Amino acid sequence: MNKSIFGGYHPLVNFLYFGYAILVPVFFVQPVYLALSFASALAYSVYLNHGKSARFGYGLAILLMAVSAIMNPVFNHRGVTILTYLPDGNPLTLESVLYGVCMALMIGGVILWFMSYNAIMTSDKFIYLFGRIIPAMSLIISMALRFIPHYRAQIRRIASARRGIGFDASSGGFFSRVRCGGEILSVMVTWALENGIETSDSMQARGYGLPGRTAYSNYRFDSRDKTLLCVFAVLMAASLTAIISGAASVQYFPMLIAGTVYPYAQISYACHAAACLLPLALEVREDILWRTLLGKVTTNESV
Amino acid sequence: MRRLPKRTAFATVLVILCIPAVIAADVLFFHDRSYYAVSLIIIALAMLPFALVFEGRKPQARELVVIAVMVAIAVVGRAAFFMLPQFKPVVAIVIIAGAALGAESGFVCGALSGFVSNFIFGQGPWTPWQMFAFGMIGFFAGLIFGRLAASIGAPSRDGTMRPAAAGGAAWYDVARLGWNVRARKRVSRLRIFVLCAFGGGITLALYGILLDTAAAVMFTQDGFSVTTLLATYISGIPFNAVHAVSTVVFLAVLARPMIEKLERVKKKYGLYHGNAHE
Repeated sequence: MNKSIFGGYHPLVNFLYFGYAILVPVFFVQPVYLALSFASALAYSVYLNHGKSARFGYGLAILLMAVSAIMNPVFNHRGVTILTYLPDGNPLTLESVLYGVCMALMIGGVILWFMSYNAIMTSDKFIYLFGRIIPAMSLIISMALRFIPHYRAQIRRIASARRGIGFDASSGGFFSRVRCGGEILSVMVTWALENGIETSDSMQARGYGLPGRTAYSNYRFDSRDKTLLCVFAVLMAASLTAIISGAASVQYFPMLIAGTVYPYAQISYACHAAACLLPLALEVREDILWRTLLGKVTTNESV
Repeated sequence: MRRLPKRTAFATVLVILCIPAVIAADVLFFHDRSYYAVSLIIIALAMLPFALVFEGRKPQARELVVIAVMVAIAVVGRAAFFMLPQFKPVVAIVIIAGAALGAESGFVCGALSGFVSNFIFGQGPWTPWQMFAFGMIGFFAGLIFGRLAASIGAPSRDGTMRPAAAGGAAWYDVARLGWNVRARKRVSRLRIFVLCAFGGGITLALYGILLDTAAAVMFTQDGFSVTTLLATYISGIPFNAVHAVSTVVFLAVLARPMIEKLERVKKKYGLYHGNAHE
């Protein structure tokens, strides 16, 4: 299992999903929404990153969550329910602790969502989506991304050529090695700039920037994407309506007041959770289907 | 200064009006609570005019590729120093790009270096802030040092290459020495010193302050106050100091060879002498 099913959908669907999932908790600090978002983000990032080492991402999430959970009650003294007094004489209030926890869920959720985003929204999808809106910058992004492995290979080539004429960057004293390494980089940069100019002349010769040129794309918007897009649109619209109308709004200070309008709030929570968990559900369904089919194949073979 | 197309100028004015409107809307409708959300919108709006100006003038292939090369060098540089936290050459390379290619290209190079390097290091809530900080550094470097601007290969409206003299030559004394390669003088020591001082200062003042503000806004949305902001700035001092020192070191080492290489390419490919396709 190395290919994500949701990642196989059209980039537009992917981007809509992550745009919603990342921006809603940032703009709408509501405990139930945040808890649902965080749980979905955690589940999806664990699913997508299984087998891969993602220790850095989780470590960062935990660290930022701890900092924000602690910083809020320490610096924020609003709220009517005083729990105790801090050493500096300021009150520690229940509301600020709760708000700190909500902030921690928000920050942690955003970090976790980005871990999934990095796994699904590869750079080619981003360039495909934004190629028409910001064509020049998309081209720079895609060229820069291509240059990176290109330069690594070129550095290896230059280093071996330099070794051949007696300037080995991997042996000798510290300073001679630094000098040899610097020479390699210097050659690389000169080559990169010249190579770049030649590339652009070649682009020019092939008609870059002329009117009527189209861009190659590998993505098709098929019925599967249409269905998922419609489902997302309905779920997200329902959830956003509740946010904008204030049916699920919440006030933290001076005391916690959840202005929850029943049953709209419950419906909006359900829609939000469904929208956040849908891709994971698709992945799990596919895994189950795959295993079932695999089981059938093996039983047939053994018969 | 090149005259801006009407559409771009209009968009810029609109964006400038939008920022106070967003803050007002936040105070009125969200009761001044969603600091992070509002700061994100402002950052996005602040970057928009640069993007519009750049896209609006339909840059030539040569200009795009040279910016892409600088972005790739910055990203490779950031990746090469992954084991030393904060000790990164990105700001130095963005400053060199701004100085050699001009303010506009400097902004694009900075913003995209932040964006592209995060494809390797991971996108996150910090990405827009990094893009804006790097972009502004490139922009200011271009404004202050980039009078040579004559962005590589960018032809003027009538299709001919702009002569460097039009922008005034900042790096070489062209008037005295002409474009003779042998007579070319090396970039002066004083200029490198000024560049290093600028690099260290702007790393602290712009990148450090912006990213620390981002952190403060993220951690303490509602508790956001001068106290928390100051606490974040103070705890960020060691990190920003290392970052500033690294920028100075990289500029001291890289500025001269890099600028000379960029100038050499400009000259070798005939970017100053009328049409490139002679």
